[in-house]
Amino acid sequence: MFILVVALGFIRAVAAHHSTAEFDYTKQVTIKGVVKEVQWTNPHSYIQLLTDGDNGQKIQWSVEIGSPSLNINMGWRKDSVKAGDLVTMNLSPARSGKPYGTLRVLTFEDGRTLDGVAARVSGGPPAAPPISPAPAAKGP
Amino acid sequence: MRRLYRWGMVLCLASLAACASTAVDEARGNTGPAALFGIWVPDAAPRSLLTADGKAPPLNEQAASIYNERRQRLARGDTSFDPTTWCAGPGMPRILTMHYPLEIRGDSNRVAFIHGWYRWFRIVDLGTAAVDPPLPLTLGFPVGQWEGNTLVIRTVGLIDATVLDASGLPHSEQLTLTEHLRVLPDGRLEDRITLEDPQTFTRPWETVLTFHRDPSARVEDDVCPDRMARGEPAEQVPPPGRQKPPAKPVARQPVAAAGNPPAPAQRLAGMWEPKTFGFMVPNAPLSKAGQEIAERNAAAMQGGRIMHTAWTSCRPGAISTMTMPREKIVILESPDEVTLLFEMPRMVRRIRMNAAHPDKPQPGYVGDSTGHWEGGTLVVDTVGFNGYAELDARGQPTSAQLHTVERFTPAADGSIDIETTVTDPEYYSQPFVIKRSWKKSPARHPFEYDCMENPRQEDFENAYFVRERYRPTCMRVEGEGMELSKVVCRKPE
Repeated sequence: MFILVVALGFIRAVAAHHSTAEFDYTKQVTIKGVVKEVQWTNPHSYIQLLTDGDNGQKIQWSVEIGSPSLNINMGWRKDSVKAGDLVTMNLSPARSGKPYGTLRVLTFEDGRTLDGVAARVSGGPPAAPPISPAPAAKGP
Repeated sequence: MRRLYRWGMVLCLASLAACASTAVDEARGNTGPAALFGIWVPDAAPRSLLTADGKAPPLNEQAASIYNERRQRLARGDTSFDPTTWCAGPGMPRILTMHYPLEIRGDSNRVAFIHGWYRWFRIVDLGTAAVDPPLPLTLGFPVGQWEGNTLVIRTVGLIDATVLDASGLPHSEQLTLTEHLRVLPDGRLEDRITLEDPQTFTRPWETVLTFHRDPSARVEDDVCPDRMARGEPAEQVPPPGRQKPPAKPVARQPVAAAGNPPAPAQRLAGMWEPKTFGFMVPNAPLSKAGQEIAERNAAAMQGGRIMHTAWTSCRPGAISTMTMPREKIVILESPDEVTLLFEMPRMVRRIRMNAAHPDKPQPGYVGDSTGHWEGGTLVVDTVGFNGYAELDARGQPTSAQLHTVERFTPAADGSIDIETTVTDPEYYSQPFVIKRSWKKSPARHPFEYDCMENPRQEDFENAYFVRERYRPTCMRVEGEGMELSKVVCRKPE
């Protein structure tokens, strides 16, 4: 029950800052690489991850992980992930096809895991409800 | 105990004229906690902090290297080490060094510093044990206590992304601030601050900031990104030598002296949080013009675009803050004002009690609010909006004709029920009511919502701005390879 309530809070919290239409919550991508930078910031926190491309080049992924207060509620601390850490990230990718996504689960080399917001949201946040013609509202 | 006694005397004097003469002084605000209350203007607003005896702070070797590099950047006009450059949180004590007035208000549980720069406020919890910070904040976790007429504040949990002053003086998250605030015999406010940070300084050191009263000073609803969009700097700094000299000491005006209206029962005072998250206002009776905007917004969202409203562009208005609050809301009550301090979105609303609206209120995001009690209900009437606020996350519009009447009623279960009657003939065919409810927060201390902290480029790609004003001036751009990201601000065209 707690998880459900928290998850609902997350959905709405994510929706609070901006539309979540940029990510495809029905898809999952797993990447592995070295953390280049952690932005522990509002309105969203990010991990910049450097992965190896097919041709030996480095690819920089931007992975949204939540926001400081949300992440604290999910068990993170500011130094949970540090530059230089080798991690695997399972994420829901951006619809744009760019190396950009929102974190579902981060796994360290020793097997420890940290959840991102998307892990708590089955199927992703709900679509915005359609606007319907306004019925007569009650006056004051 | 002493604190309780003092506050007891203040409240006593507010309602009974026949108290002891020594306490009359206290109630008139000449001594005691109330002496600190009111609006203060910095004497000097220094760009560089110095020790109390005018020397450079005792930086260790590593910190000195960081500081020197920043000073070289500053000489080139690069202030990107200072988050205020893109309207993010200044932190402590940087916010006290800005050339903006601040107002101190409070009650027996907390003291609030309401700053003139971009809606920041600092809540100091009184009489509680030190907090073990769950996450670092720009203003940290301040805990205060009265020692005689001096407010002593100890602050931990300060995020290291901020700078101590405009010259880039660094600090680590081990920083502890101990402030001694008191009114000097000449009427000025002194904040004597001890900085301890073994990762940055070779020893603890002390700096002193002073403030004076200026009856003409006001703490306005400053919105930094609007100033940036107009091509103005994020921080207004008077040219060197043009700073106002310290004003002659001005006797402070009594806050709650005998003869004034009685102090209110603290019916709403405390820390609250929304009972449920409300991000939609369903079935609002949109007019034709309102319906057109709502349909345009819906089409953009359904097309996968990221919609930006005033809320998401860090300019929330009173109406959207009331319909879509998250996190904590601190309420302070005094005879002349009920003050609402919102954590997320960050905003200060002031409700002037038993007052009239000005004939032509200056249009703004928070409007002009007046209040009175009808039995157990606080009724708040607000006009003077600027038309830049959306009712909800779908971007239902409001205009400058917006007029709200809010009724705050303490409920039997200890919560507050709020009914807001919205009238806006431009976008709505008839008045309608939005209901929200807040419950007492179990939290020790509010967090912060530093909305402008990280304006990521990705958030503004494929974006749909409900109003042109909401376009960002600054964006964080990712560096290539191992080059770190940085926030870049453009000059408006």
